[in-house]
Amino acid sequence: MISVNPTNSSAEPLDLENLTQEQTTLEIKNLDLFYGEAQALHDISMKIPKNRVTAFIGPSGCGKSTLLRCINRMNDLVEICRIDGEILLHDKNIYERDVDVAALRRRIGMVFQRPNPFPKSIYENVVYGLRLQGVKDRRVLDEAVERSLKGAALWDEVKDRLNENAFSLSGGQQQRLVIARSIAIEPEVLLLDEPTSALDPISTLTIEELITELKEKYTVVIVTHNMQQAARVSDQTAFMYMGKLIEYADTNALFTTPAQKQTEDYITGRYG
Amino acid sequence: MSSDSAQQLAANRSRLIKDKLAKYGVTLGGTMVLVALLLIFFYLLYVVEPIFRSVELDPQQQFDLPGKGQTLVMGMEEQSEVGYRFTDSGEMIFFATQPKKAFDREPGDILLEEQVVGADEMVSFAKTLPVNHQYAVGTKDGKAWLFTPTFDVSFPGKAGGTEPKRLIEPKLTRLNDGKPLLIDQQHRALTKLAYETNDKAKLFVAQTADGKLISTFFETRSNFLTGVKTLVPHYNALTFEKPVDDLAIRPDLRQFMVLSGNQLQVFDVSISGQVTQGQRVDLKSKLLGKPERLQLLAGASSLLVAHKGGKVSQWFEVAGDQGREYQFIRSFKTAGEIKDIVVEYYRRTFYTVSDTGALDIFHTTSEADLYHDKPEGLSLSKVSVGPRANMLLTQSGDQLHLFRLHNEHPEVSWSGLWHKVWYEGYPEPTYTWQSTSGSDDFEPKFSLVPISFGTIKAAAYAMLFAVPIGLAAAVYTAYFMSPSIRKVVKPTVEIMEALPTVILGFLAGLWLAPLIEEYLPGIIAVLILLPAAIIGSAAIWSQFPERIRTKINDGRVSLLLIPVVVLVGWASFAMSPWLEHVLFDGNVRGYLTNELGINYDQRNSLVVGIAMGFAVIPTIFSIAEDAIFSVPKHLSNGSLALGATPWQTLMRVVLLTASPGIFSAVMMGLGRAVGETMIVLMATGNTPIMDWNIFEGMRTLSANIAVEMPESEVGSSHYRILFLAAFVLFIFTFIFNTVAEFVRQRLRDKYSSM
Repeated sequence: MISVNPTNSSAEPLDLENLTQEQTTLEIKNLDLFYGEAQALHDISMKIPKNRVTAFIGPSGCGKSTLLRCINRMNDLVEICRIDGEILLHDKNIYERDVDVAALRRRIGMVFQRPNPFPKSIYENVVYGLRLQGVKDRRVLDEAVERSLKGAALWDEVKDRLNENAFSLSGGQQQRLVIARSIAIEPEVLLLDEPTSALDPISTLTIEELITELKEKYTVVIVTHNMQQAARVSDQTAFMYMGKLIEYADTNALFTTPAQKQTEDYITGRYG
Repeated sequence: MSSDSAQQLAANRSRLIKDKLAKYGVTLGGTMVLVALLLIFFYLLYVVEPIFRSVELDPQQQFDLPGKGQTLVMGMEEQSEVGYRFTDSGEMIFFATQPKKAFDREPGDILLEEQVVGADEMVSFAKTLPVNHQYAVGTKDGKAWLFTPTFDVSFPGKAGGTEPKRLIEPKLTRLNDGKPLLIDQQHRALTKLAYETNDKAKLFVAQTADGKLISTFFETRSNFLTGVKTLVPHYNALTFEKPVDDLAIRPDLRQFMVLSGNQLQVFDVSISGQVTQGQRVDLKSKLLGKPERLQLLAGASSLLVAHKGGKVSQWFEVAGDQGREYQFIRSFKTAGEIKDIVVEYYRRTFYTVSDTGALDIFHTTSEADLYHDKPEGLSLSKVSVGPRANMLLTQSGDQLHLFRLHNEHPEVSWSGLWHKVWYEGYPEPTYTWQSTSGSDDFEPKFSLVPISFGTIKAAAYAMLFAVPIGLAAAVYTAYFMSPSIRKVVKPTVEIMEALPTVILGFLAGLWLAPLIEEYLPGIIAVLILLPAAIIGSAAIWSQFPERIRTKINDGRVSLLLIPVVVLVGWASFAMSPWLEHVLFDGNVRGYLTNELGINYDQRNSLVVGIAMGFAVIPTIFSIAEDAIFSVPKHLSNGSLALGATPWQTLMRVVLLTASPGIFSAVMMGLGRAVGETMIVLMATGNTPIMDWNIFEGMRTLSANIAVEMPESEVGSSHYRILFLAAFVLFIFTFIFNTVAEFVRQRLRDKYSSM
């Protein structure tokens, strides 16, 4: 059931340097990020392909989560954070002044490290994003709940208790609920920030399986601490170190024939 | 090696001891807090409890009836050591009621026996109210003898140097120099007689043997040279032909009543003794039965009527269409036909003896049937209360019994505290708090309703002011303000909490109240314009060019509001006189009172609302701010990541998650407002009225305690009721806190996040 084999049959290796417009969802151009005086990201440039799973790996503090948060502008919430450079979502720089951040985040969903369901019922959690947009039609909401929960592989487990508090679910179920909540508003991109690090191995496997399915419809970017996970779920992997993008390549290639010494050291466990 | 391990063990032991000490210390501390709380609780109950105690009669002495003849009236002196009875044979008999070894007195020993008037001469008998304790005997030749029992108290020291003992020697004092007063100029026998006196005059009302009603008014005149007092009579023959059943005279001598059949005829007496016929009252009703006997209650505002069938009804004058008229107020039910009805000296308690021999004790104000029984199984025929209402002398057959009477707080009953009571002279039943007055026979009005209402009103207006401001400030500080400014703002607001409330109360009473009175239109304008101006300036700010907006840090934008607030405040006050002139004919107070019929007090709920709101804001702010700030970031981030605006996140996730904390913030604020004393004491005017009018004051439980406790006599009903008020306050805050905690727990279970 679960492909532990890094060679993911559905994903043809892409030429990441020269992706076409159609193939690219996100393009990061010369991104620098500063927390006050300290520079956290150094001149990052990369293209993230459509309907694929891209993993960011690297040791703690390498900036992989920071980079992920740049993509839906969650770093805006940090007062001392300053960003130079561009991130293009289909040729539109998301850091331009006229961008509505809320609208941007509707297109780029995010799932955090710890499951964070709202203190509401399962149903209300899933339709939260839709209600924000003013959707009131009960039928539309019901459909969205079923579709999203099925999409997050949670439907069968919760369909009889949709009105129960979301906290009655287990950790893994909660995380899948959060994913369902994100896909209910049908984003283009789904950012997963270490989605399994707070979960047990069984739940982790379920989520990983889910991620592989999610890329059918969404462009998935995942930050993970776990190299095996990156190898299992992603199509291409970016290795970051000290705020720099060291190597960005097809997952198979990166894990089997890393081009950089630092990458090799990391994946062979020399540090990190 | 072994010494090392021994040392280690020793070290562990000392750590163990410290650990145990800490454990027991903490447990002890916690227990002590609980014990202290319980002690307060039980002490309050202990002080309050006697007011709800039922009446008890404690038998003291029992002895044979001293002397002969039927008892017309019995009495005792203040110490209840000497009693007396006046008999139908015209004899006054003084006797000891308690043993007194030092003077060889045993209960029942006759101390003095004196013939007041010959048995064959005496045809009628009258007594004044107990406070005046005078008696009159009407003779068959139209005269009246006046006498009063007096008691000389001395402390003869015994030879041998023992402690001096109190000796009470009774004496029969005949008034008017031992001569009878002529009541009827035609010297007819006085078959019915009523007598009342005060220091200026005496009034007799009598029915003569031929059925005529006469009244004789004696004016006391003193010769200003010699000081000799003479009584100048004014004789009145009244045109009242009906048979007279009973007579009663009010001690102010301005009114007397004649009971005839079912009718009560009231006569008004002028200062110079002129009599005019007044109101005629029909006393009989289906429920009450035929009236038989009249008795005025202490204070003499109320008339008690004993009816056939054992009911006693209370009547007093109530302002009506035709001036003040007697009206039925309430009735009391005894078991059998009433044989004797006796009132106390000062309180509105009365005692009845029925033909079943049972004693009933009632209190009119509290409508309480305090006692209904045959004490010690005795069948009573006469009863008498000591002047201090602590002793009861009863006659049953030819035996006298002395009881100690435990009836300290007859005027208080649970229903009287919480229900409407019809007080003497009031046009209708009311909730009234009026605990003291200058006069001894004043009817105290202890209703906790107006002061409980005042507490709730004060708290409600304070919350009306404090909750919006406190919560809005908390939301802004916790959720929108930049951390650097928050670091300054939060402790500043919290320091406000430490501001002594006496200062706030002082400012509210002496500065704010006159200010509001003078600039009332301005104040109301501020309350409306300020929020409008703030929202308006925010709207204008959002239309500012991007370039200017980005220059000012988000957290510092709020500083831009300071000139707006100052300007609006100044403008409102500046245009206050103009507003007053244009809208209210130049006088708001006059306009409110005359045009709208709204009373305006200078110290009113608006002042209290603002001042106490100011005291409550820091409490609400501090707890609510903590609650909102501690909403986990990953929850708000989760919402933002779903495309919610900060406002949507606040309304849908943050406030929801923080709701337990916000709720307890509001409840803590409410608890503080309810218990707050100094501000309400100084700024409310302390008027115990029940009215939601924002321009009128109130009196709260706490302020009431603070105002009245120093002047309250320890152990009195008033004192205990103040403790009851404290207990009610305790219960109030207890309920608020319990509800707050209960709801908070429920909400927390519902909205708890990891």
